[in-house]
Amino acid sequence: MRWCFSPGRLVHPALLAASLVMAEIAPSSSIFAGRLPCDVPEELMQVDDKMPHLAERLSAGQPVKIVAIGGASTTGLAAGSSDLAYPHRLQEILTRWYPSSSVAVVNRGVPRQTARQMLERFPTDVIPEDPVLVIWETGTTDAVRGVGVDDFAAVLQAGIDELKTHGTDVMLVDMQFSHSTTAVIDFEQYLNALHRVGDVNDVNVFPRFEMMRYWSEQNVFNFDGVAKDERASLAARVYECIAGKLAETIRLALR
Amino acid sequence: MPASSRDLRLDFFRGLALIFIFVDHIPENVLSYFTIQAIQLFDAAEVFIFISGYTAALVYGQTLLAQGSLYATARVLARAWQLYIAHIFLFVMFIAEVSYTVTTFNNPMYNDEMRVGDFLDEPHVAIVKALLLQFQPTFLDILPLYILLLAIFPAVLLGLRWRPLIVLIPSFLVYLVVQDTNLSVPAYPEGHVWYFNPLAWQFLFIAGAALGFPGRHSEQWSRWSRPLLPLAAFAVAVSFVIKLSWTLHGIWDPLPGVLLKELWPVNKNNLSAIRLIPFFAAVAVAAAVVRADAVILRSRVAKPLVLCGQQSLEIFCLGILLSALGHFVLSEYDSAIGIQILVNLAGILVMCLTARMLDWYKTMGRMQVPRSTPAQFGRGNRIDT
Repeated sequence: MRWCFSPGRLVHPALLAASLVMAEIAPSSSIFAGRLPCDVPEELMQVDDKMPHLAERLSAGQPVKIVAIGGASTTGLAAGSSDLAYPHRLQEILTRWYPSSSVAVVNRGVPRQTARQMLERFPTDVIPEDPVLVIWETGTTDAVRGVGVDDFAAVLQAGIDELKTHGTDVMLVDMQFSHSTTAVIDFEQYLNALHRVGDVNDVNVFPRFEMMRYWSEQNVFNFDGVAKDERASLAARVYECIAGKLAETIRLALR
Repeated sequence: MPASSRDLRLDFFRGLALIFIFVDHIPENVLSYFTIQAIQLFDAAEVFIFISGYTAALVYGQTLLAQGSLYATARVLARAWQLYIAHIFLFVMFIAEVSYTVTTFNNPMYNDEMRVGDFLDEPHVAIVKALLLQFQPTFLDILPLYILLLAIFPAVLLGLRWRPLIVLIPSFLVYLVVQDTNLSVPAYPEGHVWYFNPLAWQFLFIAGAALGFPGRHSEQWSRWSRPLLPLAAFAVAVSFVIKLSWTLHGIWDPLPGVLLKELWPVNKNNLSAIRLIPFFAAVAVAAAVVRADAVILRSRVAKPLVLCGQQSLEIFCLGILLSALGHFVLSEYDSAIGIQILVNLAGILVMCLTARMLDWYKTMGRMQVPRSTPAQFGRGNRIDT
């Protein structure tokens, strides 16, 4: 699990050839198209940790409930509808892949909340759902507001501990990337903290920040200078890619 | 105090700390693998605060002994005021940068979360909170600590003159209470606390001041610390192994981080003992290894760092602005490793040249009015607190 160096930056020259090919392909509407426009370098799809509880349910063909808790990018507001948000997309993909289990992904996104505020929602929004996997997307608001990074790490730790006592698998999702926001906000220490908490707890961290940076650098998506009427469709496409990558990550963690 | 007898180690190490603070403040900076925080559990902030306490006691302690408590108090408060002005200046620069970026950048994927704009939503509150030192955006958290510490410093000085332990014991007790109870100082917005908890960090500043207060203590200190030196060296070595393993683990996952699960995260807000003990050990080791009369301190190589350390307030503020600028350049244009190194070098060069220029300017200023300033204090004043 990497949390210090951005791989996109380190391996940049090595990826050039692949990226040239990818840049040719316009982002299509379906991630199931022959060649995926939202491909990412292999290092970003390294999955070190298992999801034993989810694996058990799926192999037994039992129903599966996943809770996605997070901020605005979990709600999917930017795309215009929660059906276009990544949790719903993820549900569609997993339902297709695991037809014998009924898969539900519950969206528990609330914009502009710190990790602590999300943790406070666990007893009402997460635990009562009795999920087998919780996807926790967090860190943006903490970085924006400059919450103490040790505090942030401690809150993540408390959240993971709580979920583990309920026998729930956990996956963390880090922040969104764009040039303009990284110019004003120092995400790095929060990214490092988040990835390290995952590392220490043997919990997968989905490197959304690095993926989006990669897409931005390869001109797959341009997050910064978007015309007004294209913004919602851009968001929808990005959320779809994120969902696809999340689904792949889950599949790898089930192996 | 003649220049030749001044302890250049203070200037040298503070100069180094200022360079490290600049480098560490640029996110995703390859050079930050070569600063103190990559190989020790503490970082440049401890060095800066400790030496600032030491030099404050050294300079204002002399004023206290020679010119009395009233004038010493006035000088300390004048310095605190100067730091306050510097802080407000940095805050305005920060507002300008953020407001500009936020208002020109409009993408719904980020808008909901990226309103750095708690203060753009309610500027009237945010600005008052900034004036009260309660609003501390990124990078603007160390000066408020320094200002607060100077505000209480006149009382500290009087205590140190009378009986150092009268100051040190309560200071240490407050530190211990913070470690135990997590007591903190509220900040803005609601629910935030001071990043550098002044109730904890005051101990480091006051410990430095107790050592730096002119007169009896410096001899005692070296006699005391000598037998403890092997222990200190051991502590520094342990801290080195642990932190280096964490740094390497971050770069290459298969390398294990020693005691990572047990010790991390090491609390910086409250100056955890895991940071403080290796830091004090490192001070003892550095003081023993680098003697005050070491040739290296007077060498051409060390000169720029010494000058940066002597002009610490200006160079600190400049460093903060330059790291924001460096961050902007790297994220906006190109962040290849070569460019990163170039940005770092350019920043360090600007800092050193500015320090050189300030030194020249202040020296010239002193030369024009030789009669109005007694010679011995003329030189002493040059040490920035």
